[in-house]
Amino acid sequence: MAEQKVELFARRLDRGVQQAVHSNSAAGTEKRYTVLGTDYSAPDDLRRLAGQIRQHAIEHLDTYLEQAEQSLKRQGAHVHYAVTAEDACRAVSDILQKAGAKKVVKSKSMISEEIHLNDHLGSVGIESVETDLGEYIIQIDGDHPSHIVKPIIHKNRRDIAKSFEREGLGDYNDDPETITRRARVFMRDKYLQADAGITGANFVSAETGRLVLVTNEGNSRFCLAAPKIHIALVGIEKVIPSDAELAVLLNLLGRSATGQQLTVYTEFINGPARTDRPSGPQEMHVIFVDNERSQILASDCREILRCIRCGACLNVCPVYRQASGHAYRSVYPGPVGAVLSPLLAGKNFKQLADLPKASSLCGACNEVCPVDIPIPDLLLKLRNRGHEEHAPSPGTPPMGAFAKLASSPMLWRFAMKSNKVMNLVPLEKLPLPYLQPWLKTRTLPEWRGGEFRSWMKDRRKK
Amino acid sequence: MSTAREQIFSSVRAALAPLPERTARPVFSKDVAEPHWLAAEADSLALFQKRAEATGTKCFTDMESCAAWLRSQGVRTVYIPAPLTRLAALCSEFSEVTSEYTRARVNEIDAAFTPAAGAIAESGSIILSDESTPDRLAALAPWHHIALVSRAEIHRTIADALAAMPDDPNLIWVTGPSKTADVEGILIQGVHGPGAQACLIL
Ligand code: SF4
Repeated sequence: MAEQKVELFARRLDRGVQQAVHSNSAAGTEKRYTVLGTDYSAPDDLRRLAGQIRQHAIEHLDTYLEQAEQSLKRQGAHVHYAVTAEDACRAVSDILQKAGAKKVVKSKSMISEEIHLNDHLGSVGIESVETDLGEYIIQIDGDHPSHIVKPIIHKNRRDIAKSFEREGLGDYNDDPETITRRARVFMRDKYLQADAGITGANFVSAETGRLVLVTNEGNSRFCLAAPKIHIALVGIEKVIPSDAELAVLLNLLGRSATGQQLTVYTEFINGPARTDRPSGPQEMHVIFVDNERSQILASDCREILRCIRCGACLNVCPVYRQASGHAYRSVYPGPVGAVLSPLLAGKNFKQLADLPKASSLCGACNEVCPVDIPIPDLLLKLRNRGHEEHAPSPGTPPMGAFAKLASSPMLWRFAMKSNKVMNLVPLEKLPLPYLQPWLKTRTLPEWRGGEFRSWMKDRRKK
Repeated sequence: MSTAREQIFSSVRAALAPLPERTARPVFSKDVAEPHWLAAEADSLALFQKRAEATGTKCFTDMESCAAWLRSQGVRTVYIPAPLTRLAALCSEFSEVTSEYTRARVNEIDAAFTPAAGAIAESGSIILSDESTPDRLAALAPWHHIALVSRAEIHRTIADALAAMPDDPNLIWVTGPSKTADVEGILIQGVHGPGAQACLIL
């Protein structure tokens, strides 16, 4: 049946899952709203400033990326570049194989999901363990994250307890505290045995080469405390001019993501261990990944590169709340994903060209975005692009006949009057496939076309 | 053969070249992201204590009450690095006090003291650096971590702390105990790092 894929997914979604996603997202929106309102008299001014900071950074990426590279090298890090997802995966495994590393621990990173790093490492015989609790559960279940910040928003404690039991992490127990303690014990050994830690980065300061990482669990810290090699996968757009901008960005990131003033652990990494400070990894590698980002920068949707992955637009989105993250069939769900995913798909744009349509354009995503991305505008641009490239367009009725009707005053007048006959037509029986899903939950009001015209005529007479 | 680096830089330059103008670097005052209630807080120490407690970090101002708290928590094994031996003298009642931290004992130490590199009043954060806390694991693996914060090193704001970041391979701002809300949004403390975070202000 011709129907939007996201809508179809939402309709078939388990009600329990939908409830969980809905209430958890709504709670996130509420917390964000309260904390920003309590702390700032004009939070929107701050969002706009952050938006300018990020827009400036991406529009000067040529300068800042080069500067970041120099700063990182000065601090003793190795800098690599990867054009595609495959290149990025290979860069990671090359570093690991050269060092003879067999086991790695990973802290949550969206870009590693984007390039499917775990599958690649598995295929070359390297064990890679996700250490973020949610991501670990995703990994053992062979599942995909359904939220940028809360990856297992779609799972309940009973699902998790069953997975833990299956993986030999103890007998069935669905108490969240017990689940967390078991993960703590299990991860301890993994950290201590790992040869390397892999992380992403929330920001990279061009001026100082500082890599900024935020987590609540402390897992990224562990990944950099025990292993001897640190590999950071960083999208090229993560670069910011200097440390000073962090005052604005960090203050907005924690509040927008989880309603916290600051995330529990905010870590600033400035190179590998030194002779007088030997605690951390001895080797540090930063891999800057393009994977279509430079093409997005060239497009009229470059604003999406401002994104700091807070997840606020997911939480607030009425479509995301109904459909949950998997409906978007890509790593980045929700409003940000509806823009980013088709763009990241590059040559395969058409396959995800339906995502920008999964929106009512209500604008809530733009209002909560800490970097003020005009998401609805970008969705419209992408709808247009989909149309121009003749992407398949299920759920959209052909508008040709209507256009003809609406552009001829005579035809229009005639239609207004004669359409009264519509009141007698059983709509649900019409052989118009694009109407059927719509009519399942709605009916048309009684046809009263043409009344405005007669009212106008009467008025003129008076 | 063009390298990945050259390819990326040339696509980035090609993407930016057609822009008629580029967004200027915004100028903003250092206090732009300060919460509005900050101005009314005259005393940084009091503010730090208030914010730290609000985010789940316990604050102590003397070793006796800190040690009493640890005992009440059932702590038996305590790590206190060598520069702090004068504190160790006050810990005679624990079953073991050690100044050695080795990987083999990661799961045996119940509580660890390490010196902080500073603190932030605005957010109630403790700052650790590799210089102040020579073993990253020691401040992370035990269930109880107590950071020693010196009054003179409390930065008033996040912006102040950013401007004063020392040259160190690793700085970490710790704002409360390790936590997660991954399972059904329920808050649980002590995921990988300390389940009980404290500081002793000297
Ligand atoms: S688009 Fe904006 S609101 Fe959405 S995740 Fe990115 S930064 Fe957050």
